Amino acid sequence: MPKYLGLLILSILAVPGNLRAEPIDFVRDVRPIFEAHCYDCHSGEEAESGLRLDVKSAAFKGGDNHGPDIVAGKPDESPLIHFVRTDNEDELMPPGERLPEDDIATLTRWIVEGAVWPDGVDTVELADRMDHWSFKPVQADEDAELTIDDFVDRRLNEAGLNRAAPATHVEWLRRVTFDMTGLPPTPEEVAEFRKHPDYEAVVERLLASPRYGERWAQHWLDVVRYADTHGFEVNTERPNAWPYRDYVIQAFNEDVPYDRFIREQIVGDALGEDAATGFLVTASVLLPGQIGKDEPSKRLARQDSLDEIVNNIGQTFLGLSIGCARCHDHKFDPISARDYYAMQAFVAGVEYADRPLNTPEAQKQRRELAKLKTRLKEVEAELAAFTPFVGNGAERPMVNARTNVERIRPTSAKRLRFTVLATNRLEPCIDELEVFDPDGNNVALASSGTKVTASGEIQVANRHDLTYLNDGTYGNSSSWMSNEKGGGWVILEFPADVVVDRVVWGRDRLGKYDDRLAIDYRIEIDPGDGTWVPIADASDRRKFDDAAKTPPFSTDGLPVEEQIAAKALLEEEQQLKKRIASSEGAQLVFAGKFREPDTIYLLNRGDPEQPGDVVPAAVLSSFDSLELPVDAAEQKRRMALADWIARPDNPLTARVMVNRIWQGHFGIGLVETSSDFGRSGATPTHPELLDWLATKFVENDWSIKQMHRLIVLSQTYRQSSAVDDPAAVAQDADVRLLWRFPSRRLEGEAIRDSMLAVSGELNLKMYGRGYNLFDKRGGLTGFEPVETFKIDGLRRMIYAHKVRREREAVFGAFDCPDGGQSAARRRESTTPIQALNLFNSKFTLDRADAMADRVQKEVGEDVQDQIVRCYELAFARTPEAIELADAEEVVLEYGLPVLCRVLFNCNEFLVMP
Amino acid sequence: MTSDVEHLSTAGRSLLDRRSFLSNSATALGSIALTQLLGSDQLLGSEVKTPKIDPARPYAPRQPHFPARAKNVVVIFCAGAVSQLETWDYKPELIKWDNKPLPGGPAVTFQGPAGNLARPQYEFRQRGETGKWVSDMIPHLAELTDDFAFVHSLTSTSNTHGPAENFLSTGFVLDGFPSLGSWVTYALGSESQELPAYIAIPDPRGVPQNGSNNWGAGFLPAAFQGTTMTASDPVRHLAAPGVSSKADKAARSLLQRMNERHLEQHPGDGKLAARIASYELAARMQLSVPEISDLSTEPEHILKLYGADDVENKNKAGFARNCILARRLIERGVRFVQLFNGAYASGGKLNWDGHNALKEQYDVHAEVLDQPAAALIRDLKQRGLLEDTLVVWCTEFGRMPFFQKGAKGRDHNPDGFTCWMTGAGVMPGVSHGTTDEFGQKAIENVHPLYHFNATILHLLGLDYEALSFEHNGIQRRLTNVEGKLIPEILA
Repeated sequence: MPKYLGLLILSILAVPGNLRAEPIDFVRDVRPIFEAHCYDCHSGEEAESGLRLDVKSAAFKGGDNHGPDIVAGKPDESPLIHFVRTDNEDELMPPGERLPEDDIATLTRWIVEGAVWPDGVDTVELADRMDHWSFKPVQADEDAELTIDDFVDRRLNEAGLNRAAPATHVEWLRRVTFDMTGLPPTPEEVAEFRKHPDYEAVVERLLASPRYGERWAQHWLDVVRYADTHGFEVNTERPNAWPYRDYVIQAFNEDVPYDRFIREQIVGDALGEDAATGFLVTASVLLPGQIGKDEPSKRLARQDSLDEIVNNIGQTFLGLSIGCARCHDHKFDPISARDYYAMQAFVAGVEYADRPLNTPEAQKQRRELAKLKTRLKEVEAELAAFTPFVGNGAERPMVNARTNVERIRPTSAKRLRFTVLATNRLEPCIDELEVFDPDGNNVALASSGTKVTASGEIQVANRHDLTYLNDGTYGNSSSWMSNEKGGGWVILEFPADVVVDRVVWGRDRLGKYDDRLAIDYRIEIDPGDGTWVPIADASDRRKFDDAAKTPPFSTDGLPVEEQIAAKALLEEEQQLKKRIASSEGAQLVFAGKFREPDTIYLLNRGDPEQPGDVVPAAVLSSFDSLELPVDAAEQKRRMALADWIARPDNPLTARVMVNRIWQGHFGIGLVETSSDFGRSGATPTHPELLDWLATKFVENDWSIKQMHRLIVLSQTYRQSSAVDDPAAVAQDADVRLLWRFPSRRLEGEAIRDSMLAVSGELNLKMYGRGYNLFDKRGGLTGFEPVETFKIDGLRRMIYAHKVRREREAVFGAFDCPDGGQSAARRRESTTPIQALNLFNSKFTLDRADAMADRVQKEVGEDVQDQIVRCYELAFARTPEAIELADAEEVVLEYGLPVLCRVLFNCNEFLVMP
Repeated sequence: MTSDVEHLSTAGRSLLDRRSFLSNSATALGSIALTQLLGSDQLLGSEVKTPKIDPARPYAPRQPHFPARAKNVVVIFCAGAVSQLETWDYKPELIKWDNKPLPGGPAVTFQGPAGNLARPQYEFRQRGETGKWVSDMIPHLAELTDDFAFVHSLTSTSNTHGPAENFLSTGFVLDGFPSLGSWVTYALGSESQELPAYIAIPDPRGVPQNGSNNWGAGFLPAAFQGTTMTASDPVRHLAAPGVSSKADKAARSLLQRMNERHLEQHPGDGKLAARIASYELAARMQLSVPEISDLSTEPEHILKLYGADDVENKNKAGFARNCILARRLIERGVRFVQLFNGAYASGGKLNWDGHNALKEQYDVHAEVLDQPAAALIRDLKQRGLLEDTLVVWCTEFGRMPFFQKGAKGRDHNPDGFTCWMTGAGVMPGVSHGTTDEFGQKAIENVHPLYHFNATILHLLGLDYEALSFEHNGIQRRLTNVEGKLIPEILA
């Protein structure tokens, strides 16, 4: 606020007329000004900037952008006065219109006199934002006899509509099999059901199938926007994310009670389910190297990553867009900015990072791994000893920049000279020259009294110095560099005569540098008489080739007995490496690291550079009064939050989940906005049914499978999907009242899985690291799709390595979410790109070939038999005569794969009946 | 199918099949599908602000909210953050202050310690009638500046490429929001029914820094996702590999017959009819996409104008061909074309991220960008296409007036940078907004990128506040709640 404003106000107040006037009356003097100039924008539910001047409590609270707009007694601290007085055109209120000076004086004086706004004079009341169906306790009809169908029929009757006739047995079987497992029924299952149409038995079989968890986990992963990369520009692989995906599959298969499922995902580290907290960190995140080095960048990045956690919890479990209150109080729901930051405080100790799994298996695995690694080191050391002697008659390996060993028969020496005769590039560099006696002591070390001289050197501080040649430290930054291109020598003079059986040297044993390597050299010793006797050179080594890789260990040139021992060690080394590779990382999970929580501040306008009060962890204040001390322990915070969400009397939790389950079955929930149960969300089509289901859910110990049973065995679910009631179409084209079963296209994943199932190639291996859809598992750009899939690539699509925002090349176009934001519900679009992908991709052609092979194997060469089998596999029925004839003509001329390719593209194959 | 149509192309055959289906089919709804798919939706008047998309015809042209100044858009998107100081924002003060520390300047910026101020790395001179100061880095584009409307005072909310490209393309720094092109095609559909409504053309050197986020549909229906193609890489899956055209035709017509029989048994299901129609459209694309990317019909002088004949500089020739492709797409009525210049993070080698050796790298990049992009604008203009087409040049943020310590390049600067537009509805020769004397911070008429995007929507006849989509409880917009017009650059 400009400093001169205070003076201005004083001058206004100094006018005698103002001083003598009777006190300002709000109703008589102030409100008319507000009405005339302010209420157009600053009244009612959707007031500009959240500032309302029509209700006392709201007016004194102020809008989104400032603190209170009216500060009693202090006009120069009241933004209200600032905005009507300012000379800044962009700030002036009302915009483009200046209040008469009298009005400004009245407002100013009103504030000076204490801004008296009597209670009870307001003509409108603040809407009670808690007065909303989903915030009220769940209320269920007590009638024990009620079924889902009663609720659905009641609404249909009110609309003068009727439920459709039941679907055929096979239609229902196809529907429920797709629905519960994401795969079509096999011809054998169809035949069995035709014989014994036992609906309950089918449902039990499907619920017991591991395919069930694979199907329903996908719904969950959509909501929590699971992916196997970190997202954003760099989109690095997140290699240990998949244990969370597996956890979700397993939890569905085991029917983990939903209240426990919630707790495990928020605080599974306390409940023996480490992988479950992967939920907290499913979002995209900037890795440390991608965040600016400046402090504001770091603070913003941290805020963004905490925001994602709060959003995930709010949307997923509570169906609330809590994140909306990050910058200002929620526009519609009873969620204040303070509530938002109080939610952040629950998770303020969560870091996006890998965590070691803490299961007994993982601990055991870690111990095993440590043992394996120790043993590998031993084996490698032992192997290193098996070096062929210099001049053994066989070719020795070429020199390399890391480690070169010269093994000789024990020889006495007083001095040793290493002469470089040629390098691959530039002046030679040696990071360490080691000379060993038969006991394995390095007698070259300066610390043992050995002195070193050289032909010359280039010194670079802390990098190159002659004394670094024998200081016992490896690497370029502790090495000797000659001052002569391609040449130079060093001499070690031992304090006394030593016996030498091995000389070891390298250019950069730390593995960074490959230049400056001595590719031709000579090593000589002085036995003590001043003569130089050659002991090793490059003449029996393989000719140096810069492009060649360091050759693997070879037993060539070793004495026979050493060859046998070395081969055994080599084999052991390979085994060890395999075992280490398979268990490395298996005990890590990207499930968040937990540390001392950040202090959370109420940020003005969400700006980390404008911190306000410290905010302790607390649940949404309009709903409950649970608040933790500011210094509450990290895990306790998450535990408290999880317990609050999972309370049976939380009005949102059960409703939101039963609605998601319903949506999974019918394609759309009773509440269309399945992640928004707030005041701007959709109202339920069947509120009583929703509450009845929520009650049943809690009563049945939060069993998700029990909800499936209730739903898929209902008559409502069993209806035909035929569009044969014009009156109903006219009234309810979207089928929200369920006068028929709303058929829908299969999701991309279900299409791919189903193609593999009918082609006979589906690999049912469960769990573990995902298979590749692209030529790389993460990275900046340029993801080339894999086109030919084998073995692992023929697993279900939920086991694919999901690269965030790269949609799979064929099926991604079928509305697969990209893992960026939460996908509460799959939209169903129909595009020519889908048609191109499914009709022309190599994936489709390969499946068509495989299906043709399968069918030929199963029924032989008779074309009609083949066509019949194809129809059974793809459509769960036999072809009619005209279909048979039509297909036969094509198959005879172009082969069976053409028919299979067509089947995959048929609406009958792609649409859940 | 009779044998006398065997000589027809796949699509022609298919169309014929279609016609016979239309005349024979007993299902009224099925027969409506194609005509609906091709017809424009006249029902959506200006009073309907949220387009209701019929899944059967997602690309049908839809009316804007109010009369549009521009019908379609070409965005030239320079990935990696082009320095405003080497291009459009002339700061002579920097010459005086060259190699001196910025008084009160930051000690640390995005990549680390700041060095001294550095003069513009190219000479500037005045151009055209407006006398606009533009650098010699881009001589061809510089000739056109009388037609451009510059905004010199843009700001971004992130100084990191990924989030900042998200912000430029989607209005949000987070992943997963719909891109500008998907919003536009969601709102307006497309004039072309034989090509995707929204095409993204990556640079010949590779995909831009933020990849497909720049043309993603986010939570909008997948139909509005940008389809990628370049002059050398056509749309994926246009043809089935290794399948003879006869077998292909046979498969297509068998599919059609099977789907029609299925539809007869499920009358009234609009989704089924829509799927049938989508195969019809796919067949047309199979013909029209190869045709559109076949530049052999372009005359010599056009190839020359764009620099597509440059055998010395493959990247320039490649980008030039992409520019020609962009013009061809606009000619055919494609609504939104996004033309990328610059690829992924590569230490500034493949895009405009000049941290270390700015001048050296910009010499290379400018040659790729300049002549082809200028030619595209000239070509659009001489064909009269600029009357209806908006051309936008943008980059995710700018660069600092000082070099990074120990380097000859500039760090990220989201606080003041330049983008421009030209063509339909744009006031020519305007330079709006200013940065401080060193070009570091926007100080006058400051415009967060929201405003730039809002203005683009406005030119297309779209109310940026009304164009919205409900996602998880929030009515989402391209411009969030920050939309504001930049009226100074409108004609």
